[in-house]
Amino acid sequence: MSESPEFEPKIVAFVCNWCTYMGADLAGTTRLDYPPNVRIIRLPCTGRIDFNLIIKAFEIGADSVLVSGCHPGDCHYTSGNYHARRRWILFRELLQTLGFDLERIGFTWISAAEGHKWQQTVKEITEKTRKLGPYKDLYQISGSGAPPLPLPIWGGESNTVPLPGWGGEGVGALRETCRRLLAEGSVKVVIGYGRRGPVFVTRPEDVEQLVWDNHCLANLTVYLKRKEIRALGRPAIVVKGCDERALVVLEKESQIDRKEVHVIGMACRGMGEAKCETCDVHVPRFADEVIGDADKHPAEAGERWKSLEVLLALPPAGRMAYWAREFERCVKCYACRQVCPMCYCERCLVEKNRPTEIEPSATAKGNFAWHILRAFHLASRCVGCDECTRACPAGIDLRLLNLSLAKAAEEHFAYRAGMDPKAEPLIGAYSLQDKENFIR
Amino acid sequence: VSATISQQALRELVTEWIRQGKCVAGPRQVKPGCVLYAPLESSAQLALAGFIRPANSVKEFIFPKHEELYRYRITGNGIELTEVQQPAGEQVLIAARPCDAASMPILDHVFNWDYKDELYNLRRQLTTVITLTCTAHDDACFCTSVGLGPAAERGSDAMLLELGDGEYEVRCLTEKGKALLEGKLRASERVASVSAGPGKRFDAEQVRAFVKEHFDSPFWPAQTLACLGCGACAYTCPTCHCFDIVDEGNIESGVRARDWDSCQFSMFTLHASGHNPRPNQPSRQRQRIDHKFHVYPEKFGEILCTGCGNCTRNCPVGMGVLGVVAALGSSTPESVK
Repeated sequence: MSESPEFEPKIVAFVCNWCTYMGADLAGTTRLDYPPNVRIIRLPCTGRIDFNLIIKAFEIGADSVLVSGCHPGDCHYTSGNYHARRRWILFRELLQTLGFDLERIGFTWISAAEGHKWQQTVKEITEKTRKLGPYKDLYQISGSGAPPLPLPIWGGESNTVPLPGWGGEGVGALRETCRRLLAEGSVKVVIGYGRRGPVFVTRPEDVEQLVWDNHCLANLTVYLKRKEIRALGRPAIVVKGCDERALVVLEKESQIDRKEVHVIGMACRGMGEAKCETCDVHVPRFADEVIGDADKHPAEAGERWKSLEVLLALPPAGRMAYWAREFERCVKCYACRQVCPMCYCERCLVEKNRPTEIEPSATAKGNFAWHILRAFHLASRCVGCDECTRACPAGIDLRLLNLSLAKAAEEHFAYRAGMDPKAEPLIGAYSLQDKENFIR
Repeated sequence: VSATISQQALRELVTEWIRQGKCVAGPRQVKPGCVLYAPLESSAQLALAGFIRPANSVKEFIFPKHEELYRYRITGNGIELTEVQQPAGEQVLIAARPCDAASMPILDHVFNWDYKDELYNLRRQLTTVITLTCTAHDDACFCTSVGLGPAAERGSDAMLLELGDGEYEVRCLTEKGKALLEGKLRASERVASVSAGPGKRFDAEQVRAFVKEHFDSPFWPAQTLACLGCGACAYTCPTCHCFDIVDEGNIESGVRARDWDSCQFSMFTLHASGHNPRPNQPSRQRQRIDHKFHVYPEKFGEILCTGCGNCTRNCPVGMGVLGVVAALGSSTPESVK
């Protein structure tokens, strides 16, 4: 479409110092001819390549990006490339959901001895990019193939009416349990649901504040990490099956001592939210005590990704247009971050301003950067409680980004965050068997 | 004698304004269950009924979430500054709620106090506000507690009042309002009835007295434990107006801009030394109430709140002004000393 003779592709290559950079050097000293379209950025290891760099390259005008490191088994630091590989597998899925053109991102392994492979790779990516033309779809609201808006993606309507099957069962037992726990002194505070929102009950006589109905939406595990709550003493916490998965991840990441938390699990029949339609953890599995029962049949595994289908059926430019529209409404209130049990960093990367890593402004660039960062830092950690989506005052379906990463984790690694306390966390580990059919 | 307009004629007017190149913004359903004030691409997008109020506020049309102030370029030993283009297009805010319109005269004080904010004032001049009075309210609404109501005229250039059967009574309140609507209305005998709005939920004077006297009260830590520290309240509030100045660019050039900021963020008052005078969420929640009900009224004579209830509706944990103030009402002075 844009094969104008003037178009010279701009390609940014992020390469490992120990292999590909040496390989490129060898290509030079061997006097191998290759197109001058590649700008090389040398990093100590592919494991050190921040995914933000790839995005930034596109933002400053790259038409393609190449990432290249050491062959498996060849890493200068033993396993940096294995970690990188696992991250790319997940990150590619996120980029795909966001509508980045994956044709424009290449991954290769090139050793210090492979000057010819470097020459060949650069030739190929340059030619390919020349054919693709300049990258114009980045953050474009009306890219080619933009969808009619709004897309009918959102599954759940806000549930202001009582749902059938909610007769207030369990609230009596819940209050009784909490009264007992507080009276015997084994817990100092109960983190539970009140009529308006979360409540923190410290005296047995106040347990009447606790409620259990279909408005108990918040994932209360977010409070376990908070200083003001910790100061109150040993907590008991009320969780639903979905919230409980967060406890598993938090424990795995050494953020909580499970023995120091008394977990009261509430069997849940669904709160009427989108996530509830495909829920398969109606009854908490690891709680110290479970109140009530729920005989809802778990949804089929494939059902979980159903809400992604409409989006993924669009061409890349259409997906990007969808997200550009959504993110246009983002005001950067960070409600999505603050309600997330997994966003427990003392200082978020977006708050680092010496120098600025993520542009703080609520512009297309700043918003994409933020939402990519948020989603990817939660890759294989997000338990799908959808609090981010519920909290968003702009109605952005952030769950779709989380879903795409959960789907990638399950399909590539048979891993679901917070389901199995024995499973090794996905990021931070690697396997020699991780598949790499997208790496040349 | 009153003046009326039919809904159809109103939509035709909106179409006409859009055609003239005006930025017309109003309530728009961006997805099921989510109505926001947003620029309208066609009059069909204008949502006039079926919701309490949009989840955001109209302030972003006079005080955008991101606004470029000037551009800079580093040239050898110097710096070259370029002015950004000033806002020039006329704006019409249609079917704004009275609690949104009222925020503008309240904000005028702070944007014209020690420094007259050019960009704010320009946008304000270019904007005509046509409000639609409220016929319904929810548990989060409390306009009557801060001296406003479902048909409060403050800040409106014209006001639409529902008559039923797709007709609106129109009251032109300023020259700007007249300029847009005159000649488009029918003379009529019909006068709209005005709903009473939510019952008074608290006494703003008592809130002021309380926050003034209870800076270090255990009330704050006890009643704000649930606050997670996001900015959903401030960013959807029609009157919250704090901003941060940021430089964005590369080593050669960039832009200086102002972005919304919120007193609920941990970074808001963080000093370069590392000291933070508001080190925890209770002190930040206290600040929000204190600023709205004590500091602003003492400085400018007005409460910095229009009772729209957005802070409560948008709060992921159900707090907001009403959540905190309601707790204040239920605490006896003894227990919060």
